[in-house]
Amino acid sequence: MRVLLVEDDTVLGAGVRDQIKVEGHSVDWVTRLDEAGGYIAAASYDLVLLDLMLPDGRGLPFLRELRKKGDVTPVIILTALDQISDRIDGLNAGADDYMVKPFDLAELSARLAAVARRYAGNPNPLVTIGDLEVDLAARAVRRQGKLIPLTAREWVLFEGFVQHPGQIISKAQLEDHLYAFDIEIESNTIEVHISRLRKKLGREKIETVRGMGYRLGEA
Amino acid sequence: MRLPHSLQARLVLAIGMSVGVVWVISALIATATIREKVNKVFDSALEETAQRILPLAVQELFEAEDDGTAQLISTLREHDEFLVYIIRDRSGRILLRSHDADIQNFPPFEQDGFVKTDKNILYYDSAVGGDFTITIAEPLAHRNEAARETLLALGVPLFFLLPLTIGGIWLLLHFMLGPLRGFRDELAVRGGQDLAPVDTGRLPAEIIPIAEAVNALLERLQRTLESERGFASNAAHELRTPVAAALAQTQRLQSEARDEKTIQRANNIEISLKRLNRMSEKLMQMARAEGGSLRAEKPHDLVQILRMVAGDLAYGDHDNQIQLTLPDVPVLSWIDPDAFAIAARNLLENALRHGSREMPVAVDLQLDGTLTVANAGPIVPPEDLKKLTHRFARQNRNTRGSGLGLSIVQVIADGSRSKLEINSPATNRIDGFEVILYPARF
Repeated sequence: MRVLLVEDDTVLGAGVRDQIKVEGHSVDWVTRLDEAGGYIAAASYDLVLLDLMLPDGRGLPFLRELRKKGDVTPVIILTALDQISDRIDGLNAGADDYMVKPFDLAELSARLAAVARRYAGNPNPLVTIGDLEVDLAARAVRRQGKLIPLTAREWVLFEGFVQHPGQIISKAQLEDHLYAFDIEIESNTIEVHISRLRKKLGREKIETVRGMGYRLGEA
Repeated sequence: MRLPHSLQARLVLAIGMSVGVVWVISALIATATIREKVNKVFDSALEETAQRILPLAVQELFEAEDDGTAQLISTLREHDEFLVYIIRDRSGRILLRSHDADIQNFPPFEQDGFVKTDKNILYYDSAVGGDFTITIAEPLAHRNEAARETLLALGVPLFFLLPLTIGGIWLLLHFMLGPLRGFRDELAVRGGQDLAPVDTGRLPAEIIPIAEAVNALLERLQRTLESERGFASNAAHELRTPVAAALAQTQRLQSEARDEKTIQRANNIEISLKRLNRMSEKLMQMARAEGGSLRAEKPHDLVQILRMVAGDLAYGDHDNQIQLTLPDVPVLSWIDPDAFAIAARNLLENALRHGSREMPVAVDLQLDGTLTVANAGPIVPPEDLKKLTHRFARQNRNTRGSGLGLSIVQVIADGSRSKLEINSPATNRIDGFEVILYPARF
């Protein structure tokens, strides 16, 4: 999942960025709304984490403007404004969730996953794919009850397929999904991760659609 | 003398006493005036009578033979004698006297005119160059009685009219002070949080400046409290971000550290940061609950607020669950949504923290807005129940929590003219704890 973090506090931003990275997602971190607008225009994000009080303006008008343009990217508000009326305003402006600072990073990860699942049209955290049982909330894959260990990158890649069953996902989309702007990646990185996933889960679980990309296997 | 506290009683007392005193003074002046006039009339009558009797008596004495004895004038019929007289010759010998005249009461003649003794007022006159003198007496008691009867005639109505006057004044004042009582009652029933202006529409013109001064004071107070509230809110914001940053870095440290000692230190920092956050959050909540009007500008749906609060706590650091029983339709209330959320959050946190891990916390909202939060767990003794809404009260020292949660809810209940009921055991249970927050009354 590719995440845009909009947070002006550098110490908090660094902590949140590191947490999201460890979960295997790619993060772009900006500290101003004008930068955030530029990033959203340039790339497709799966989620935006938005602070409400930024040096160049308030987050709510920014969010309203985003929704007015028809952008449906899930947005979780991260804010120090803790009143329920602030929260109602935030949700009315088009936010998908609202987290009051200070928050546990584990809770942030859980909410992040929940929002992503909701947008993938599958709010149920337990999914069965052939002989595999996938627990999206616990980030675990089991075969006949036995846990199959995946690295963070492998999990995020696989989660992307699970959340878009039947859809063809291009290599470029997968690179976007996995890596932020500032990371140089090798041309065959995606192939390497796909290959490792197939070894662990079974070759038929990820199909190659020649010239177009990959999709989740039906078997 | 201590005056009564009631303005109405004071006015009735003052006006009643004034009317009584004025009446008494008027009666005394009237009596004195009448007495003076009566004395003049009586004196004139005495003088006139003497001057009428003396010539007649002298003529009769000339015609009658003087045998050396006094003639007694007999009466036609028995009656009270108010005027008695005697006629003497130059030597003082009594020649003639009225039938009831007591000689002891008639001092010898000295000169014409009035003389006053202990019992009588006397008038002396003479004829034939002083050969005959008349002394006519009237008892002082007669005049005193006339004066007393006059005073009584003026005073007696006071005993009947004064209570009637006081009653009339009481009723009139009661009616006229009605708007003032309404003003007082409106202020008296308010909680400390209600700073809305008082209605001055029905007040008398003399009281309106006072009511306007009260309203101006309330407005100033409201502005001050709003400014404090704004400060509390800003302070909360300023404090939350650095705490969030420290907590995020600490939790990253917990994940990345491999050394057991470092992990332990990070755990300790995390505990302290969370405690710091909890305490500052409670103090801010208390400041907000006490800080201003708890009446919202428009009604809000309590169901939506409860879902949000319960949703927040679902991710919290606890094992037990929340069981929500909410109406299918919105429950609208005029209570400030932030205040209700603060109250609900504190009740739920309290139940999750102190309740049994095995049983869910039951949250029930009625259509009328009554909120009940109940949890399983040990029974709280009645003497401890009473103390739970006191600030920094904990059931025991080992209990986690700020000791402010229920006191914040109590402040919100008071501010919204609601009622807080605390029961242990909970209703229909043999154990547990239950708090009922009744609907706000605005």
